[in-house]
Amino acid sequence: MLDTVREIETPEGVSLRLRAAGAFGRAQAWLIDLLLRAAFFFIGAAFFGVFGKGGAGLGMLLLFAITWVYSVVCEVWFGGQTIGKRSMKLRVVCADGTPVTLIPSVVRNLLRVVDALPGLYGVGLVCTMIDPSARRIGDIVAGTIVVHADALPAGSKVPMVPSQLLPVPLDPDEQAALIDFAERAGHLTVQRQEELADILVPLTGREGTAAVTQLTAYANGLLGRP
Amino acid sequence: MQLERIGVALRPRTTLEAMDLGAVMLRAHARQVWSAWFAFTLPIFIVCQLIAWLTGMPWLGLFLPWWLRPLFDRIPLYVLSHAVFERTPAWRETLKGQMRWPWVRTIAALTWLRLDTHRSVRMPMELLEGVSKQQRSARWRVLSRTLGGQASGLTWTSLLFELVVFISICTFTLWLLPGEALPDSMRNLTQAFQLPAFKHALIWIASFVTYVSMSMIEPLYVASGFALYLNRRTQLEAWDIDLMFRRLRQRLLDAGLAAVLLICLGGFGTAVHAAEATPAGASSSAQAGIAEAFHQPLDDKDASFSREANVVYLDPRFGTKHVVTHWVPRLTPKKIDEPLPSSSFVFADLVAGLVNVLMWALLGVAIVALIIFIVRRVRFSGVVLERPERTLSALKTSTVQESALPDDLAATARELWRDGHRREALSLLYRGSMQRAAAALHIQVPVDATESDWLRHAKALDDPSRRDQLVSIVRTWQLAAYADRYPGDTEFASLLSGWPVQRVPL
Repeated sequence: MLDTVREIETPEGVSLRLRAAGAFGRAQAWLIDLLLRAAFFFIGAAFFGVFGKGGAGLGMLLLFAITWVYSVVCEVWFGGQTIGKRSMKLRVVCADGTPVTLIPSVVRNLLRVVDALPGLYGVGLVCTMIDPSARRIGDIVAGTIVVHADALPAGSKVPMVPSQLLPVPLDPDEQAALIDFAERAGHLTVQRQEELADILVPLTGREGTAAVTQLTAYANGLLGRP
Repeated sequence: MQLERIGVALRPRTTLEAMDLGAVMLRAHARQVWSAWFAFTLPIFIVCQLIAWLTGMPWLGLFLPWWLRPLFDRIPLYVLSHAVFERTPAWRETLKGQMRWPWVRTIAALTWLRLDTHRSVRMPMELLEGVSKQQRSARWRVLSRTLGGQASGLTWTSLLFELVVFISICTFTLWLLPGEALPDSMRNLTQAFQLPAFKHALIWIASFVTYVSMSMIEPLYVASGFALYLNRRTQLEAWDIDLMFRRLRQRLLDAGLAAVLLICLGGFGTAVHAAEATPAGASSSAQAGIAEAFHQPLDDKDASFSREANVVYLDPRFGTKHVVTHWVPRLTPKKIDEPLPSSSFVFADLVAGLVNVLMWALLGVAIVALIIFIVRRVRFSGVVLERPERTLSALKTSTVQESALPDDLAATARELWRDGHRREALSLLYRGSMQRAAAALHIQVPVDATESDWLRHAKALDDPSRRDQLVSIVRTWQLAAYADRYPGDTEFASLLSGWPVQRVPL
């Protein structure tokens, strides 16, 4: 089964799913960051320009800071998200899913020098296309990964109907599918709802609209509603 | 379409995640995609160059391959769509398969739809669904409701990627070529551009590099568009739920055909209320199971709990209203405009000088800090620091003591009970009883046996009075251990009498 998810099992048996982010989102986030930083630098440089030679020095310091310090500060102290990553709902985390710490963040940002070769992130782009978790060289060396941080598109709430208990016990993923169905049924056409519900005739013993209602009742029961 | 054979994990995804899935699909089938890609596009590319050469219009070599992209896009789409639902076709099969795919839509894409930015998503719909003309526009409206903007975004990002690859290849080549290897005409570019041969050579090189960068990015573009299409279909038709329901149905049918048939008969029989009765009966039996497991009626209102809850709600932190008073300025203070000093340059020089001094000071501090760091590093490099010992303090000490059981169980338990160690007394009673029960049943019980394990074992006892006694000991212990509810003195005494606490000969 092909998927972008990188699954990590903790010693407690909890499986964490990191949804690795690929080249498209990361490039867009980087572009947003680049424009923001460029605008900030030009405003700053114009301001420091008033102060003559000393001001030019300050401008250089500013350039240094927004080139090298900005990403590290954002990643370590602002939840692994630069402004661009935040707007694209991406996040840098360690490869085991823990928040990124100072040293990995510094390493991955220093290695931008390599990834940015020959000036436009050509190496980084090819690297994200090759790596299974779409990491660039800096990520691989620092042991970090960029993941999608936004919530998955979910359906609306399960509609309220008098709940019913399931006649047979179901596995957790099957129960999740029932609840998923009840949540997302509103986004499906009526025909498709009935088509899906008809698959489960062995469970509901009904067909058509009655089966849809029955499945929704089961979902209510699974959610512990009265 | 057989969803059971799909090779992609189906779940709702965000747009960006769907595009990433395209990259993953491409990576998984890279060999087949690119072998077919080059087998198909390279001859066409060479033909384009020949046409450009023969007609004497070198720009055609750059333009024609770009224009023919919708034609090239069929190759990755063919491989990936077959790879997702069946098996990955080899490059020969892909080339043969092009004959079977409709051509009309590709011709449309090559002519009046050539500049359509939605091609990546439109193509799977047109080539894979094969719907008629009337249905197509309606279908596209449904699909493109959310996909339109995403598809355009994908197109522009892919264009940027191609540009990146193009510039990277050019830059790397220029960096890695030794200066001596360059022709003399390259040394002076302004002169060189006046030579038509040089311009032609540049266009040849550009068309070749464009072909390479297109070969890298175009399959990714097609794969991501196809993944967007799959994601939209998954949203619209709930493919993931469909798949899960089918598996569940199969499992149910395999598990108990008789029971299933019974329910089905109930559902499709003449009496509709029969179907109503089946789940109701099932639910009542489930409730009976719960009641059996916990030996308490479900609707029993716990009097002591509600009393405690009422006390808690009396606490001012829950549910009461507070009145908070604080001072607010009646008049908002006006901002005072500070006049800028006219001689701002004197001020600027002053600041610049200050910053200069500050910088030198910072440099000094940095150097001193570096020296201190190095000295410490050298001094301590050989020394292994002892790790500070940290012991975790337990939240609550365990009441179960791992000591051997006393000979006279009843007396010891009674003594503990009298001294107020009720929990310890019950614990001892429980442990001792279980050990004796194990001896009576001639079974070896693991140390991690839970209370419910014991209840199960208790059922194996022949004597109903002994069984009840054992069950009531377990229940009393559970209530004490987990709910902090203790039995009365007489009740406790009744637990101590008879088997298993007293040694009664069998």
